[in-house]
Amino acid sequence: MKVFVLVSYTFGELVSKATIIVLAGISTLIILGTALAFSSSETDEGVTLLMFGQKVSPPLPLEEVHGFVGGVQVGLSKGMFAGIILFGIFATAGLIPETLQRGTADLYLSKPIARWELLLGRSVGAVVVMLANILYFIGMLWFVFGIKTGVWNLQFLLAGLTLTFAFACLFSIVALLGVLFRNAAIPIIGSFLYLVIVGGILHQREQTLYLISENGIYRAILDGLYYLFPQISGMQDEIAKQILQQSIDWKPFLQSFLSASLMFMGGAAVLGRRDF
Amino acid sequence: MFALTKADSMHAIASESLSKVYQSSLSKRNGITALEDFSITIQQGEIFGLLGPNGAGKTTFIKILLSLVHPTSGSASILGTPLPDVNIKRRIGYLPENHRFPGYLTGDQVLDFFGRLAGVPRREIRSRSKPLLDLVGMGQWSSTKVRKYSKGMMQRLGLAQALVNDPDVIFLDEPTDGVDPVGRKEIRDILTDLKRRGKTIFLNSHLLSEVELISDRVAILDKGKLLKIGTVDELTSQESEYTIGITGTLPEGFHLEADALLLKLKAHDGSLIADLKTTAAINQLIDLLRKHGVEITSITQKRNSLEDSFISLLKGEKSQ
Repeated sequence: MKVFVLVSYTFGELVSKATIIVLAGISTLIILGTALAFSSSETDEGVTLLMFGQKVSPPLPLEEVHGFVGGVQVGLSKGMFAGIILFGIFATAGLIPETLQRGTADLYLSKPIARWELLLGRSVGAVVVMLANILYFIGMLWFVFGIKTGVWNLQFLLAGLTLTFAFACLFSIVALLGVLFRNAAIPIIGSFLYLVIVGGILHQREQTLYLISENGIYRAILDGLYYLFPQISGMQDEIAKQILQQSIDWKPFLQSFLSASLMFMGGAAVLGRRDF
Repeated sequence: MFALTKADSMHAIASESLSKVYQSSLSKRNGITALEDFSITIQQGEIFGLLGPNGAGKTTFIKILLSLVHPTSGSASILGTPLPDVNIKRRIGYLPENHRFPGYLTGDQVLDFFGRLAGVPRREIRSRSKPLLDLVGMGQWSSTKVRKYSKGMMQRLGLAQALVNDPDVIFLDEPTDGVDPVGRKEIRDILTDLKRRGKTIFLNSHLLSEVELISDRVAILDKGKLLKIGTVDELTSQESEYTIGITGTLPEGFHLEADALLLKLKAHDGSLIADLKTTAAINQLIDLLRKHGVEITSITQKRNSLEDSFISLLKGEKSQ
């Protein structure tokens, strides 16, 4: 119940922040841009896709149109990782450090609420805000693609949920760093570094870092690090497959769930020992 | 850890040999002792003032009671419940020093948010909000965002927030900080009314004159150690010095007789200032004055302000 109160107020807090309003604004611009730019014309030869009135494909049979639109949607979902997820981290990274500031933590923790509940409520609140943003963005794009091309790709719509799950896993790193350092800068830098550089390199370790040494311990450490952190890059690949309606390997999602749970428990343990 | 006795369950607050040493993050050896072997009991329905200079350990003590700080050793209880205990916080109200409410909330929303976190049903919060905001003089600002509030308004709202769950024990850390004199008087009246309703109030304040006005008992803390505890009367009375109002002048020979009785007297502006250590000495002086036909208009025991006592106690501690 109290976690729900924290979630609902965190939602209100984030919605009142300019960053989330800007994020929703950018999403709206992309949706409107897609709606204006994308169209299709149907002839006896097939469906021709148009961008700003210019043909971008020859007349295609309907099943190929599905593949073409799916490819565009994959591109948009990848762009969303780089854009919306990073923007989302930027908007939400301050939530936990701000809660743990003197004068604020005192107010929260003087209430009958466990410290882990406080961490959970704030984290879930951040994820719910991102879920709303992602569902708005993907939902509207799904609608636009459906109207304009006749392709109603349900998997693209469902990718909103898997994307939000990926964000939640990434946010577990933000939450842990927020508890450890009690400022917003380190969680932002840490999660950006992980998302943009470290996570990708670890995901491709067999093609990159393994080449440095054949030492078993070295490679075990790399594997350990890969499984310790949420597998964002792995999930990103699987989301692309999901949108293209290919079979998905759920292993990265399960491992990321376990990793994110570990990060959260670590954060809760540190928070439990802290003096305010 | 010490076990609290059964008798402690009768107290609103009890602590036994409570200590807190803040360890430096770099060195485990050079800790800062914020509280040392601090034992205290506070009765239900009491207004208790904790005084001390900056860094004395006052806030640390409150924070240990609220489980915001983990004690190094010792034990404590609130309303008979050994700490730490999350559920006892349902019966506690707390106004922290330099608190910060989320700026995007209005006064009403602050009470709703913290009331719900305190486990109060929303229906009850709705019925309590307006009277509470009116009580602290914030009724007309209930729909204004907190970020527009002045320091004094934040304190008033903070007090309302501390009362939203109708707590039995209320901790107030510098409650009148930033509040104007009229507001301070209003807050004192609110606290007095809460005491009348059986609430226990634990007050941390630098404003000694205020603590003196409303506290049943006070404790003075310095460098984490309890220096003195007692009622305001016990801490402020200076038993041996009396001022005796008289009419007319003292007759010749009076001082000689007083000296013979070993009475230490000083005439000052129509009155006598006497250092009288026993009741017998007081009676001897009265007898002597009557014998010489001097009319006594008043006898007043000299009393220090709480501030005088506080400063002299701290000076005494420093000189040791």
